Amino acid sequence: MIGRHELRSAAATFLAIAALLLVMTASAAGQLPGRPEDIKFPDLKYDPPRAADYRVTLKNGMVAYLVPDRSLPLVTVHVLMRLGPDLDPSGKDGLGEIMVAQLTRGGAGGMTAEQLEDRVAALGATLDAQMGGGGRGMMGMGGVPIGPAESRVSLNLLAKDLDAGLDLLTACLKTPAFQEDRLQLAKEQAIQQMKERNDDTGGIERREWSLLMRGPDHWSNRWTTQASVAGLSRDDLIAQHRRFVGVKNFLIAAAGDFERAALVKALEKAFAGWPQPGERPGPPAAPAAPPAPGWYVVDKDVNQARVSFGLPALDRYDPDFHAALVMNDILGGGGFTSRLVNRIRSDEGLAYSVSSRFEGGVYYPEPWRVAFQTKVRSTAFAIQLAMTEIERMRGELVDEAALQNSKNKFIESLPAGFETAGAIAGALAAEELTGRYQRDPQYFAKYRERIRAVTAADVQRVARRLLDPAHFAFLVVGKVDDVLLGDPKHDVTFTGLAGGEPTRLPLRDPLTMQPMRP
Amino acid sequence: MTLLFASGRPGRRVAAAVLCGLALGALANVAVAIASPAAASGPEVREHVLSNGMKFLLVPRHLAPTVAAGWVARVGSVNERPGITGISHLFEHMMFKGTRTIGTRDYALDERLIAEQEALQEQMRAEMSAQRLALRRGEIDEIASPEAKTPRYRALEAKFDSLVAAQRENMIKNEFNLVLQKNGATRINAFTSEDMTFYFWSVPANKLELWFWMESDRLMNPVFREFYSERDVVYEERRLGVESTPLGKFRESFDAMFWDASPYTWSVIGYASDLPFITKAQADEYYAFYYAPNNICAVLVGDFDPEQALELAEKYFGRIPRGARPVPEMITMEPRQPAEKRFRAAAETNPAVTARWHTVARVHRDVPALEVLAELLNGDTGRLKRNLVLGQGIATSARAAQDARKYEGMFEIEADCKDGHAPEDLELALHGELERLQRETVGDDELQSVKNRYLTRTYRQLDNGFFLMLRYGAAEALGSWRDADRIDREIQAVSARDVQRVAQQYFRPENRAVAIWTRAADATPEDPALAGLPPEAKTMVQRSLARLDGLTEAAQVQDMIGRLESMGGQLPPQWKPAMDYVRGKAQQKLAELQGADK
Repeated sequence: MIGRHELRSAAATFLAIAALLLVMTASAAGQLPGRPEDIKFPDLKYDPPRAADYRVTLKNGMVAYLVPDRSLPLVTVHVLMRLGPDLDPSGKDGLGEIMVAQLTRGGAGGMTAEQLEDRVAALGATLDAQMGGGGRGMMGMGGVPIGPAESRVSLNLLAKDLDAGLDLLTACLKTPAFQEDRLQLAKEQAIQQMKERNDDTGGIERREWSLLMRGPDHWSNRWTTQASVAGLSRDDLIAQHRRFVGVKNFLIAAAGDFERAALVKALEKAFAGWPQPGERPGPPAAPAAPPAPGWYVVDKDVNQARVSFGLPALDRYDPDFHAALVMNDILGGGGFTSRLVNRIRSDEGLAYSVSSRFEGGVYYPEPWRVAFQTKVRSTAFAIQLAMTEIERMRGELVDEAALQNSKNKFIESLPAGFETAGAIAGALAAEELTGRYQRDPQYFAKYRERIRAVTAADVQRVARRLLDPAHFAFLVVGKVDDVLLGDPKHDVTFTGLAGGEPTRLPLRDPLTMQPMRP
Repeated sequence: MTLLFASGRPGRRVAAAVLCGLALGALANVAVAIASPAAASGPEVREHVLSNGMKFLLVPRHLAPTVAAGWVARVGSVNERPGITGISHLFEHMMFKGTRTIGTRDYALDERLIAEQEALQEQMRAEMSAQRLALRRGEIDEIASPEAKTPRYRALEAKFDSLVAAQRENMIKNEFNLVLQKNGATRINAFTSEDMTFYFWSVPANKLELWFWMESDRLMNPVFREFYSERDVVYEERRLGVESTPLGKFRESFDAMFWDASPYTWSVIGYASDLPFITKAQADEYYAFYYAPNNICAVLVGDFDPEQALELAEKYFGRIPRGARPVPEMITMEPRQPAEKRFRAAAETNPAVTARWHTVARVHRDVPALEVLAELLNGDTGRLKRNLVLGQGIATSARAAQDARKYEGMFEIEADCKDGHAPEDLELALHGELERLQRETVGDDELQSVKNRYLTRTYRQLDNGFFLMLRYGAAEALGSWRDADRIDREIQAVSARDVQRVAQQYFRPENRAVAIWTRAADATPEDPALAGLPPEAKTMVQRSLARLDGLTEAAQVQDMIGRLESMGGQLPPQWKPAMDYVRGKAQQKLAELQGADK
């Protein structure tokens, strides 16, 4: 017979077993964490690359960043220069860009252009030159992070052919032939591209935005014209080459399959006895004219408007730089986690691409800019949504979770910027060429610490300091009548936002860049 | 191949080529082989198929503490049908909208609100259906503008918006991306092409398990919340990429002309009429067919231990059941084209030619020879630049591309006219180049140079784990991941005779379609100086300027000025401003040409 106590005891045992079984079942099925936050990640120790580990001063005084990586039999050598369109003489707009491109396209070292190209092709190599950036490549990979005021000449080939490749590279830099027929072709191509300047709204937006931010006299707004390009001569190229393409202006970034000491020796030999030292120009001039706040439209018969608005912000040495990075990330720079994307894209479905961009000027304060494209009738409503978010950023402290998420993103993604030897060499060399290495040598080392130190109060302070709507310039390119018509579903009009009629900007003659009748 | 991304990224062909571990040969000034074809082999790829049919490709590389991770569904616009064109790409966008766990505070409430939204959408669709009928009857002019919405539609829309607002309160906005970004994930994106839908991101090496958690969760439990606002986002993408660009609408039309029967005839973004009316129910059905694990391949490249990765694969993805129904096979084949097709477009563009030929699917044995043929034409040493740009001087640039897709292929050449040359003349010159390839075998040096360029390009692609991940995933979606390495090996073995044979076989006139592009007359804004001229005088000015544009010698311009001056006295006075204008332009050009001669 089982007494009451035993019964209780049996029941307790049964319950205990049942409970245990439940736990076990849950545990068997729930071997997987219930949420991503429940995953326990091992620690990852990561130190960003240090310039000292890769930096070499060659005998002739040139600096090189050499990052060996023996996993593939390839070598890349970039020769970087501070050489931008700001250095074009008056009336010779386009000279530097064409000269740089022709270094590897117009023959060199006694070889015709065809012979040089055949030689490069036979090696399976690439040898090219370009003024300006845009070298980040697909998904931010590849290329060298230089801007519009710098140039590069780049060689990539099998490591066993490095000596032959360096001969070709230095011939192009030292004794370019600037063959006439190739120069003529480059000029024709440049003029042909000019003719398409009013075809795409993106191009119109880019140039008018630059004008509003930097003024018509700034070097970045001195466009090439048919006359300036047609007037360029081989002698012009030779003079520009003699002045700026020399060892004093060279900085090397090399990565790939080499042994450091051997490459130092090879580079010293290749760059020894340079005929003209050239000069390293100072930083490009900052805009002198104040920006032009206000509301501007350019009429173009398309059903989607391109919208840009903002104002000059700060440079990358500003004490608020890191706080501004975080602020912008939360507001509109952080893709799908940012407020502008959430409101304008996800909530309202008004735009495919919407962002606020802030990179910090390399040489002087560059604009902070909101940009999106939306169907013309939605333009006013979308701008209103963006302005509400900007006011919120200025008016309220960001919550701690959003702040931490943003800071984590910057901190955790740092290694992704240095995934390859080429990325390391390019990033370090660009730092020195553009002067941050000299002013802030610990930039990469202290990056995470500086981001960590940003507070919610910093974010609000920097938003108030930088994002004053009274100083914004608003630019819309699209079918203006429809922009002004708006969408009856929303109680906002473009003229209401602008406080009156916007300024209508004319299209420009693509070959002279003179304003045409609006 | 057309790629459309989930978030704004430039499209680009995923044409990668990777080889490693090659024995290197000697190199002289002329092109000699820099590797033996037999020595070529791809990086070591470990293949594993889970019991539910999902394939894993693993490529460990320990260059940096990151892993490039992605998975590809073997579905794209080729699997669609009229009425739901664009659904593959819309679906790709929806896969970032969260799951039963991610993106919501209360899934039960979420589910209820979505059901209520669907019921309202059904009524809104009925209203739009009536509008379409009214459009067909000519009772209304269009259905897309805000004014075209009926009062009943507006009332339904207001109710729908309030449900969306309620759902928004219950959502954790874009939590999928939020979790990834705060854990240091980068390059979070996806793309859709005609043949595949590819989802990918890079993750810090210590957080690889996060990839398994997040991706298996969204494959198992996706919730298509914000379906209709995202559909609007995709339509904005269509405006951005097609409708508001100078050539988007034309290219869409040319594509449709090129393909007779193949579903490649519609674009990945979908028809303007279909996209705004795709329903959530259609997306659910699409998911059930094409997102079964047996139709998916995952690829990991980077700093990880393969054994550990396979353990995680079994644990996370092994729990997803195999698809209940077989994946529908795409059976429509492009018929042999019986006659040449021609397309003429006056657009906002410089004069140019696009010529296309039907070729073969990606797995076809002629692909390596066609790749070599494209490379013979391309680049600084390619025949297009050497002969059309530099030799004959009738083009300013030209390029060729072999686009082999899963079911069909095409070869395309595009060339931009030099001023003063008509697109039709350039077209003849293009055909002339191809006829030479049909007539004469390619020289050894030229062929070897192409192969060498191909080989070093393969190494460059290997440098980045992310491209490697895309390379094998894309190859698997088009056939087999092994094809990527096989085609690269076979390219090294292509002979001059092979090139001649494919040139003869595919570049026949009846197998081609040609687009002639000219600049639309109204594409150039009018110079204010012409505003007051009579229309016939404006026409004269335009013709004269076009002629002037084509002159390249100072003497020719001088001659034109002389003739203008001699005609001046014979013209009525109202034509004088027009004559002065043209003479001014000619003098400007003369000064430029003389300046350039100095």
